[in-house]
Amino acid sequence: MRAFAVVTFFALTFVSSVVLGQQDLDQVRRLEASGDTLGARAALARAAAANPNSLPALTAYAEFLDRYGDPGCREAYAKLLAALRNSGDSARVGVIAGRLVALDLLAGDRDAATRDLEIYRAASGKNVSMGAPRSAPGTEGGKGLTAPIPGPMRSFARMAAISPEAAPEDIFPALARNVVTNGYQASHSNDALEQTEYLKLVHRYLSQARELTKVAGEAKVIKVENCESPTVAELIRILGFRMRGGCGSEVVLETVNAARAFLTTDSGFPVHELEQALRTNRPFTYDYRATDVPVTFGPEYWLGGGKEKESPDFLETFISDPSICRLYLGLSKLDRETAEELRKAVAYPRLKAYAHVLDFFGGMFETRGGKAQIPGGQKSAAAWTEMTGASPDKGADFFDKLISKDDGWMASLYDALARIHGPVQEYLTDPTRMKRFYSAVRGRITSPGPARPVFRSNTDMMLLTTRLRLEINGKPHIPGNLEVWKNLFINHPQGKYDGKLTRLATTWKEPDDVLEALFALCRKAVENEPLKIFMAISDLDRNRAAPLDPATVDRLARDYRTFGSQYSTFSESRSISDKSINQFLDTAEAINKVRDPMFRSDVAGSFQALVGLWQILVRQGTIPDGQADAVFSGIASGFAAVKSDRELFDTSRNGVKLLLAAAPSKPGASTQPQGRMVELLAGAAESEDTDARDQIAQEMNRILEAQKIVSLDTLFQLADHTEGVGKGEKLNTALVSKFTKSISEIPMPRASLTASEKNAMGFGYWTDRHIDAERKINLRSAIEKAAGDAVRLSEVRGLLAPMLRDTLLGFNYAHYAPPGAQVLYTNPVFVRSHDFLGMQGTSHTWRPTEMYGTGWPSNAGGRLVGSLSGLAYALAEAEQNFLIPAQTQALIWGDLVPQMILSAKIPRWWSVSSAQVHWVGLHLRYGREMAGGSAIDADLRAQFVGSLAMFAPPARTNQVARLLEDGNVKDALDRITPSELFSVARDLGPKRKGDASCLLAEMVQLQENSKDVNYTAISRAFGTPKPTLANSYEPDLMSLRTFPALMGYSSRIMAESWESNTLFWAALADELSLTPSQLNVRIPEWTQKLVEQIFASHLEDWPALLKSLRLVGDEVRKSARAAASDTKAALQESPNR
Amino acid sequence: MTAGAALLRAQDQRPTFRVKVDMVVLSFQVQDNKNRYINGLKPTDFRIYEDGILQKISTFAEGAKLPVEVAEDGSTRPLLDTKKDALPGMDRPDAFIGTNVFVLFDTSNFMYRGFVYAEDAIADFVRGLDRADSVAVYTFSRNLSRAASLTHEHSEAIAGLRKSVAGDDTALYNALLLTLRDAAKVPGRKVVIVFSNGPDNASMVAPDDVTAVAADEGIPIYVISTSEVNKDPISSASFRRISQRTGGKAYWAKTWQKQVEAFEDIREDLGNSYTVTYYPVPNPNEGFRKISVEIVSDPGKKLRVHSRPGYKPSRIGP
Repeated sequence: MRAFAVVTFFALTFVSSVVLGQQDLDQVRRLEASGDTLGARAALARAAAANPNSLPALTAYAEFLDRYGDPGCREAYAKLLAALRNSGDSARVGVIAGRLVALDLLAGDRDAATRDLEIYRAASGKNVSMGAPRSAPGTEGGKGLTAPIPGPMRSFARMAAISPEAAPEDIFPALARNVVTNGYQASHSNDALEQTEYLKLVHRYLSQARELTKVAGEAKVIKVENCESPTVAELIRILGFRMRGGCGSEVVLETVNAARAFLTTDSGFPVHELEQALRTNRPFTYDYRATDVPVTFGPEYWLGGGKEKESPDFLETFISDPSICRLYLGLSKLDRETAEELRKAVAYPRLKAYAHVLDFFGGMFETRGGKAQIPGGQKSAAAWTEMTGASPDKGADFFDKLISKDDGWMASLYDALARIHGPVQEYLTDPTRMKRFYSAVRGRITSPGPARPVFRSNTDMMLLTTRLRLEINGKPHIPGNLEVWKNLFINHPQGKYDGKLTRLATTWKEPDDVLEALFALCRKAVENEPLKIFMAISDLDRNRAAPLDPATVDRLARDYRTFGSQYSTFSESRSISDKSINQFLDTAEAINKVRDPMFRSDVAGSFQALVGLWQILVRQGTIPDGQADAVFSGIASGFAAVKSDRELFDTSRNGVKLLLAAAPSKPGASTQPQGRMVELLAGAAESEDTDARDQIAQEMNRILEAQKIVSLDTLFQLADHTEGVGKGEKLNTALVSKFTKSISEIPMPRASLTASEKNAMGFGYWTDRHIDAERKINLRSAIEKAAGDAVRLSEVRGLLAPMLRDTLLGFNYAHYAPPGAQVLYTNPVFVRSHDFLGMQGTSHTWRPTEMYGTGWPSNAGGRLVGSLSGLAYALAEAEQNFLIPAQTQALIWGDLVPQMILSAKIPRWWSVSSAQVHWVGLHLRYGREMAGGSAIDADLRAQFVGSLAMFAPPARTNQVARLLEDGNVKDALDRITPSELFSVARDLGPKRKGDASCLLAEMVQLQENSKDVNYTAISRAFGTPKPTLANSYEPDLMSLRTFPALMGYSSRIMAESWESNTLFWAALADELSLTPSQLNVRIPEWTQKLVEQIFASHLEDWPALLKSLRLVGDEVRKSARAAASDTKAALQESPNR
Repeated sequence: MTAGAALLRAQDQRPTFRVKVDMVVLSFQVQDNKNRYINGLKPTDFRIYEDGILQKISTFAEGAKLPVEVAEDGSTRPLLDTKKDALPGMDRPDAFIGTNVFVLFDTSNFMYRGFVYAEDAIADFVRGLDRADSVAVYTFSRNLSRAASLTHEHSEAIAGLRKSVAGDDTALYNALLLTLRDAAKVPGRKVVIVFSNGPDNASMVAPDDVTAVAADEGIPIYVISTSEVNKDPISSASFRRISQRTGGKAYWAKTWQKQVEAFEDIREDLGNSYTVTYYPVPNPNEGFRKISVEIVSDPGKKLRVHSRPGYKPSRIGP
């Protein structure tokens, strides 16, 4: 509590009752710069309180609170405004009143905003106004644009698998999505689709709800006066229950009709409350009002505008026709103006025919003033006209042609190009080039189109356009050189990719030829290996000081199929040499040639575990970049020639030495390898924050203990001792016994696998043998048998090689252990069970880490199989089902949760500065400030929305624009992600030099004064790892539009495009004055809470995630402030503490 | 460290250090050769051994009666009067009255047909519990959901139960592990009652690893299924093994509606259990320690003790 003592002392002595002078302000600044923001805040608060008319004191305090996002800043500004009005400084009054208007609107206080706006107008002389709130989207124009949903909305939402927190306008799109994706399945008997159980239940629920509506009567309330009421029998019949026992305390409701009772329970009808009312003979009432939900264009449009216009069964019709749902879903992704134009211009049946294209690729369509907003702008207009057959000037006509062209291929190109901006978009939308590449994508036969499958299948094209890199000369970056790619296409070691491309490759002369081939392969349904190779090696080159040699690129390209999943390792250091990469590949090849599976598994495991530790230490900056290559090379070269267990032990031990020696040692560091390794992995070398570090080290040690890992110290001492015995030393029985005791604690996997299962799967055989062999090590006997023979004794330490493998592996597992780590604490042989071989007949040694054996009770629990390249992700995946959702079942789980855990565990914040954390916080707050200001400043709004459009889809951007125009800033901000807000502030900050914002001023000042405050450093510190998208675990901020779920990649890329969490946490830490190193402990905890709070309707339900993020932020703020107030009270009670 | 950081740490409820208090809680029932429960025995009637080493009983309770502290000479005094001297972790002395019953309800696809009947059965079971017993209702499918936290109000537990939602995959052993972790935090006697037909298709942890956690924490697991469970022999065998090794029992009636006997049996077990606590005498065995309960007043060995077979000390937990 030292820091707080400083605060108290300072607060009591610093402030005089006189005006706050420059010297005092400097002192506050120093305090703030030292990280004691609470001290600075307290001092300024006292100064402001002691000098209520001092403009500098009030200004300093209000701006300080503003810069740190303190909710008290609104009140402080209000006091400042009052003082300014008395002073007669109308210019300042205008500025502060303007700021207050924004803060009022951010707080959702429209009345205060109106009052402050008046002051602003009077002081600034500007005739600005704030729009009036409009009705909810979809309900404009009054009646006829909604449809009723019978019964309570919450019950319907439960049955239809929609988040009960969904906004009214999101109900039908979510329902449409669920019907499209989960409502129908292929029939067993014919070609027709049949309803799934999900949809049947929705229908049954609606039927039951209508029955209950009748019971509810005119009042729309289900009412039971008492147990004897005549309505009871009918009500419980509809609910599927009956009464057991007579009225009174014995009555129990029990199921009589299982189908009805299931609907009753599953929809959340308060059966228990009804039962209690019947037992106590008290009235029961339940509001059974229907909810009117907005319907885009109104129900009439969807019913074909014909006879069924007045049908009360719009909902039934809607869910009974998947084609209606698909169109509804498609149109809901379009921005409102564009959707409206399409509706007017294109006949309903025609739109329905292309609903699938709209659904997948319509999200980026945009018309303004009747014109289509095309990628490439004016220069590409003629090419788009030529390709589609319609001019972009006629927006609706253009999009009509676009969706119907080539079964969706044209629309998919449009989508891929519209998602990007900047030089790459410029390059790819060059008219000649665009037509050439489109021709390659389209091919001769257009069917099946990319919108036909369940998920959109233009994934590769999106990846190519998103990740393409241009050189300084404006040409695309081609890894290696053209020859490498010609060779790959012509002489591919595993067979040709495409006959035509193989022939064409002989004529390639320029980078565009390669790009054309890659575009052409994007249309193939099979895996696009050349594109993956191209992306992986481009990503390797991306951050390197010098690009890879063509020879290395050629080898990487050819070895991709076998070793591709290891390439992200080479991205960890920018200075890793071609030689080292080749050494790694040589070693990997040599390991593959080891014939004994047990030994191969041990060599591969030890090698990969050491490389894994190297990755962690390099990523954390523990191993300086200048030494990274030498250490990597040292590890890689050693394993190539390992032939025996003794050599394996010695090589592994040497690898540990290399790692430990490369990390700079500080006074007080542990001298023993085990302690030192844990210290380094926990971040010791970089951080002075012993508290956070100790917490992490302790957690790691607990996991190692739970996994019965034998320490490095014990293993190395034993090895040295066997050598000593060879030189005549006496056997140290205590040491050997300690080891024997350690291995006696290793249990065998608790399996009850039958012989047939074992034969069928061959799964776990080698890992069981590995553990069994470890348990049988009898070191004493081996030493005694060697009978003092130095050579034989040296071989004895080879017995320790498998144990050392597991110890090294244990460090990797412990470092990446997800929050909770239930598997690691429960299955004591989880680490030892890592299977580097995989099932019989397969080789998983270099494949990505996968989870095997889940849900197989006869096995000894799940285990990880494959290399360690995806260890962090696999551990997160294994742990995700142990998280406990706050609300029944969160529907967004899947790939998103492991990725969020990954983003909380891979980056570490030991070397991040407080200034960097504050800078991130300032960006998010400045973004909010601009959003607030946009409500009364049309120019600013245009700037803000224009910038947002680069990062958010048109539909959402235009929704935000409307809300800002209406003065509904709070709702507008609810629709903007933290990463978008950061990007907008980054984009607009430099363009708004005259802005009087104290936030902007501080952003600029921090950047000028601190060399570590820049966007490159922030990207590395607060970005997210994107192993699938960027082939690297290095955290990075790409400022991407969030991706949809894509075919072929599950939803990992979609999950990786979400970059908001860490930025949000950084801003939160800044608000709460946490040290950056504490983020290492807090972010995993906050992430766990975040996941547990998500309640989404579908995979791409980002608003639900955003809501959860904010909820956790509010909880953390609340508890931190409550704790602060408790501590303050305690200190006041006993000031000498 | 800044003041803010210190404050945030101060409000953090998660302990940095977890001191493992090695108090052992042992529940058991005594029956005669006609399976009748034997009640009214005193602490002095029992001798508890771990690996043959005699242990000193610290507290003793029978059924839902108040626990008593046992002195060196075998005399007893009410535990609640000695609140200030309560055992470590005993911040809720009333936690030792009655049993903390954790109901774990499978709401996965496999239970779809019997979902509502199982729910009725659980409601009946909860209604029939002794008033002194606390009850929590958890449901699970792929994930665990805490439908009703541990409460003395059985009606609240039923209300929570009635709000459960049908799910998809079955991660029974994951959910059981999480339930045990929650139960382990509660002082006093506790049991877990699982309502599931299996089979598990999504757990990451093995049944035997979960059993080990239950045995180490001294939490008996009762499993209630229907004969559907026999369609998957692995599940039925696993259910038997889990319950036997933790001192619980497994039941399968033909349907959920026919579980009356099982409920009665469990309730009798709970109502007729003896619970003792003790701090183990130093023992070099860090592996599995065998527990045996000897009835001093039964030299003819006519009575049978039903308890967990033993436990493994110092298991590291999260």
